[in-house]
Amino acid sequence: MINNVLKAVIYFIVLVLVQVLILNNIHFFRVAVPFLYLYFILKLPAGMSRTSLLLLSFLMGITIDAFSNTPGLHAAAATFAGFVRQPVIRLFMGKDVIPDLSPSYRMFGVGGFMKYTLVMVFLHHTVLYLVESFSLFDPVFLVIRILASVILTTLLICTVEAFNVESLKSGDKQ
Amino acid sequence: MRKLLDFLVSKRHWFLFFLLEIIAFAFIYRSSVYQRNILLSTANVITGSIVSVSGSMQSYFYLRKENKDLLSRNGELEMGVLELRNKLNEMVADTVTFSGFQGTELADAFKYSFITAKVVNNSVARLSNYITINKGGKDGIYTHMGVVSDRGVVGIVSKVADHYSVVIPVLNPKFKLSGKVVGSSHFGSLSWDGRNPRYATLSELPRNVEFTQGDTIVTSGYSAAFPEGIIIGTVSGYRKQNDDNFYSLDIELATDFHALNNVRVIRNNDQAEQRRLEEEAKEND
Repeated sequence: MINNVLKAVIYFIVLVLVQVLILNNIHFFRVAVPFLYLYFILKLPAGMSRTSLLLLSFLMGITIDAFSNTPGLHAAAATFAGFVRQPVIRLFMGKDVIPDLSPSYRMFGVGGFMKYTLVMVFLHHTVLYLVESFSLFDPVFLVIRILASVILTTLLICTVEAFNVESLKSGDKQ
Repeated sequence: MRKLLDFLVSKRHWFLFFLLEIIAFAFIYRSSVYQRNILLSTANVITGSIVSVSGSMQSYFYLRKENKDLLSRNGELEMGVLELRNKLNEMVADTVTFSGFQGTELADAFKYSFITAKVVNNSVARLSNYITINKGGKDGIYTHMGVVSDRGVVGIVSKVADHYSVVIPVLNPKFKLSGKVVGSSHFGSLSWDGRNPRYATLSELPRNVEFTQGDTIVTSGYSAAFPEGIIIGTVSGYRKQNDDNFYSLDIELATDFHALNNVRVIRNNDQAEQRRLEEEAKEND
């Protein structure tokens, strides 16, 4: 339990720093921005209660907002991601998940984890870009930006997960 | 009753979800240009000092370019000084009563001065871009001050903390500025379409204004933030607007937002008076 809390705190700090110091400055072809901070929400223990999941997602979103001058934007999208996480996990894994473990390649299988990531990233980015486009609506550009960023973020999260030593070890406990 | 309570408790994450989303959207709708809340922005001391780490690292990458720009700018200024000195000499030769023309009067006539600042955080690829600079209220910066680079217009200060400020650049749909073709007096309104950080649009320019490709677009001087005649960019193309009475020009921006490093905030020396006036107007509202 303590272990999980400590892990979440470290994930939180590292991902916020990576997101605001490095990734916020990356924009491939001026359309795609990777939002790696979503990895934090993806990796919270599978059996976590939906209320704490929502609160942590909101906290993550509002922190990213504070650093990127977008009050409320990431908070809205991240809260939505936190809200749909449990139904998405249930959709791919059924009810037989080990509550204390974080989702990983070991736990979901490589294809399963990728599907889980893709769906979560897609939902999050759609909300994010839709809300952002309130200030300037341009449908074609919007779709291009969503798709490009979804591909980039999913690739990045799957890569990070593949090299995540802590995640490889945690699979052994079962 | 008990069943109803059980039902509500079991669905509590729904309530929490809606509550959090309402909070988030409240933030979104309150974040207008004139927002005073600096807690959730990079003008805040904590966030400001963290993002300035990446800003100070990035500034090294552009040193060479920056240096080159400064040199050329320096050359231009030197030329200007020479020209003025020549003129002054001519005037001294021409006029007998030149001693009546005092330096202080010259300073009074131009009511703007510069505060130089460093960019610590910058974005160009988002739809709503923002720039954070390392000067704030303690350095005499107020909201609504204009910001320029050594090449042209950058944006307008929107939030000020003690040591940092956030600037809304041209590359943000919230940014509005009037501009005109140099030499004419008809103005249009400048805006950005969210696509290419090198280009912006000058719309609602009357059809009778004459211009050609490559003409310079400058500020009109109608806003208190910028004096008249600061370069915005050059004309790279134009098209008729739907209602057929106006032109819409594509402007290649003079400022390179990708490599923005040092900026100047324009201080309007009459700002105190103007601010007092604005406060009064607000109170009467």
